[in-house]
Amino acid sequence: MSSCQTCKDPSKVLQSIMSIDVLSVTKRQEGFQFVNEVESESDSDVEMTNNDEKPESNTIANDGTIVTPGELVTDDPVWMRGHGTYFLENQTYASVAGTVSRVNRLLSVIPLRGRYTPETGDHVIGRIAEVGNRRWKVDIGAKQHAVLMLGSVNLPGGVLRRKSESDELQMRSFLKEGDLLNAEVQSLFQDGSASLHTRSLKYGKLRNGTFLQVPSPLVVRSKKHTHNLPGNVTVILGVNGFVWLRKTSEIDTANNTSSVAGRNAAALSGASGEYKPGSNSVSITRLEEESSWEIYSDKNDPISESMKRTITRYSNVIKALAHCEIGLTEARVVAAYEASMTFSHVGSLIERENMESIGQDVINAEKMRGNS
Amino acid sequence: MAKDIEISTSESKFLIEALRQGLRPDLRKFEEIRDVGITFGKDYGDVTVTMGKTKVHCRISCSIAQPYEDRPFEGLFYISTETSPMAGAQFENGNNTGEDEVLCSRIIEKAVRRSGALDVEGLCIVAGSKCWAVRADVHFLDCDGGFIDVSCIAVMCGLLHFRKPDVTVSGEQVTIHPVEEREPVPLGVLHIPICVTFSFFNPEDAEENIKGESNNEICLIDATLKEELLRDGTLTVTLNKNREVVQVSKAGGLPMDALTLMDCCHKAFKITEKLTDKITEVLKKDIESRNQHSAMLSSENARVS
Amino acid sequence: MSRLEIYSPEGLRVDGRRWNELRRLECSINTHANASDGSSYLEQGNNKIITLVNGPQEPKLRSQTNVTKAVLSIAVNITRFSKTERSKSSHRNERRVLEMQTALARTFEKNILLHLYPRTQIDIQIHVLQQDGGLMGSLINGITLALIDAGIAIYDYISGVSIGLYDTTPLLDLNTVEESAMSSVTLGVMGRSEKLSLLLVEDKLPLDTMESVLAIGIAGSHRIRELMDKELRKHGEKRLANISSNQ
Repeated sequence: MSSCQTCKDPSKVLQSIMSIDVLSVTKRQEGFQFVNEVESESDSDVEMTNNDEKPESNTIANDGTIVTPGELVTDDPVWMRGHGTYFLENQTYASVAGTVSRVNRLLSVIPLRGRYTPETGDHVIGRIAEVGNRRWKVDIGAKQHAVLMLGSVNLPGGVLRRKSESDELQMRSFLKEGDLLNAEVQSLFQDGSASLHTRSLKYGKLRNGTFLQVPSPLVVRSKKHTHNLPGNVTVILGVNGFVWLRKTSEIDTANNTSSVAGRNAAALSGASGEYKPGSNSVSITRLEEESSWEIYSDKNDPISESMKRTITRYSNVIKALAHCEIGLTEARVVAAYEASMTFSHVGSLIERENMESIGQDVINAEKMRGNS
Repeated sequence: MAKDIEISTSESKFLIEALRQGLRPDLRKFEEIRDVGITFGKDYGDVTVTMGKTKVHCRISCSIAQPYEDRPFEGLFYISTETSPMAGAQFENGNNTGEDEVLCSRIIEKAVRRSGALDVEGLCIVAGSKCWAVRADVHFLDCDGGFIDVSCIAVMCGLLHFRKPDVTVSGEQVTIHPVEEREPVPLGVLHIPICVTFSFFNPEDAEENIKGESNNEICLIDATLKEELLRDGTLTVTLNKNREVVQVSKAGGLPMDALTLMDCCHKAFKITEKLTDKITEVLKKDIESRNQHSAMLSSENARVS
Repeated sequence: MSRLEIYSPEGLRVDGRRWNELRRLECSINTHANASDGSSYLEQGNNKIITLVNGPQEPKLRSQTNVTKAVLSIAVNITRFSKTERSKSSHRNERRVLEMQTALARTFEKNILLHLYPRTQIDIQIHVLQQDGGLMGSLINGITLALIDAGIAIYDYISGVSIGLYDTTPLLDLNTVEESAMSSVTLGVMGRSEKLSLLLVEDKLPLDTMESVLAIGIAGSHRIRELMDKELRKHGEKRLANISSNQ
């Protein structure tokens, strides 16, 4: 009859009184039935943390098992403790609910959910939160705002030009609070916050489209995060879960034809007629010099209504994929877009059943392709 | 209690290290309270309580008021514990919504008012229309930790010491007899709650505290201001002489073993007994000293003998 | 009130429970995915509580920044319609609510690994939709779940429950009727240990019975922890299955 909780307790008083079970009801639907504490089960539970129970000790929770905070992951001292764990002497405990991950000797627990953690090289989308002293603070959905230094952006007039005091004074005319931009994580500070840069023509201010946010784990880091989709729409899947959908511009088509970064500018210069009419120069420096105020423009290009509908449809199918917790890839977005064509009304796409059916379609299509 | 005072890292390390070796800065034992000094003023219900450098003044006053409609047989009783910069620069004037101020006033409220230390039914004069409203104003004069403990003693001493004017009721007619005319009557105090505050320190890291089995957290009684600033957790136990727990408040802070907390309660009881005796003794002395003169002046003696 | 039999000689309470029986406890997490980083909905008997956790995020005010650890703030919103009678005040700045917020913040400050999130702020908002006694315990359970859902590192679960003492019998997990008829103790227990993070006694209680009250309280809290853990694992497994089939 002695209850498990006091097995280890030295006190006689507490122990004698604790020889009671706690009753609890879980579901009203099942009638008010009393579920007696399953002693055997909780016994083993307790011993897992307190005693060296034979099957659990020295072994480690396997890769991918779910652990919850306070749970003993291993009592083997050989492991290095990574994120999501804490330790006391030899015991390593989980501090978040998630899955155990082992990389060589590094043991960590990956939380099921959590904020985006920036890493160097991530392509992210952010929103300017604050204009400060020679820097912008950018909300990238991480624990802290990222920093975008004035020195890490391309200013009108080209890279090689020095940042002058007048630039500092007119920082708001480049990027002001609320503006969206895409950028790359340049480096990380000691406390985990990020420093960004936009020193490439594929980064910079965003316009001609719409923004949406999905949980960040759904966007997997890959070589390319900008995709030109059918229907003349371009999607930027930020690693931080921020997504931008826009009308495909010349820069996008140029980027798409040659994804090698070095040749971007060259390819672009050929297609940059719209931006710099009359310029036929192929020189990169020339191009940089001429990258004009237009990259910081707030004006949208004229967008036709059908284009707007297409963008909205993409936006809603991405919401549907996110709802079904399906990782976002170019192929999946396209597949979902095609699947969504059965619904003529774009607005109906975000109804729960429709989102689930689209998600199911995408999964099924993928399975079929995998099998065949 | 103080937010704005900060202690340098080296000093805090020094203090914790000293505690680990069993030493407190003022060389008290861990479970030793500072001397409590109780002085009464000229008037009834005017009391100043000191404990080390902490100094609290409490004044009890009363007036006639109308009872609450839902409780026609009960008098009113308010306790006001407002801090002012007088006690220390860390207290803001007129701002009593700070965490510690709220906790302090709530604990006093629970310890004295909600526990029924004052017999509010005895304050009723005419049911539903007239009753005494008793007011305890606590003033913090100097702060060196232990506000809750000291103010509780101060309020209780004040209530025990206070005398309200005598009244006679004949029908609807209520006569209040001035103190000069008729000997005022004491309030009905049902029990004397005593607060004892424990401060917990974690000599090791948080992991040891939560997962370890050593339970070697340090536990001090009656911390000074410096110790209060550094503590990781606190427990205020209010008890009375009848072995009743009046109130316990461990509002978060360092997790402590249930048995250690029980142990604290038992320690607190010993202190409660000691302090209750002290309070009754001091009160007795004060009344004696007052009666000394009245006995001389009274004409009653001659008649009785 | 006095006509009601709080604890019958047969050992049944007003709502038909035994002395050592918890109320029905149901909980779910990730209920408000768009509004917050972590959320939970908890029903403990007739207590219905929504908890939202936002953060760690950039502090709203520069002055609130702490360079060594995260700043935790808790706001408790007790709705006007949470009791049988609609309350006239919004409870916002009542001392009782301020005390609750302080106690909750201090409880979780020692449980969250705040040093992992310097220069950030963690905001917890609680909405009490319905209350029926033992509110403080339910708030603790709700916060624990929401914090775990938000992926914020904590040392262990904290589970809360209230216990009353009727004559000499301790009664586990009080409802409003019982709470107003007897003195009650609220506990916040750290994980599977017997360490109390929170201990509140608000009314008179004989010193010598306290131990038995604490014992049943700790046992009850452990039980609540198990129930919450079960729900979390269920949620986690569902999620994992979902993700592995989708990627």
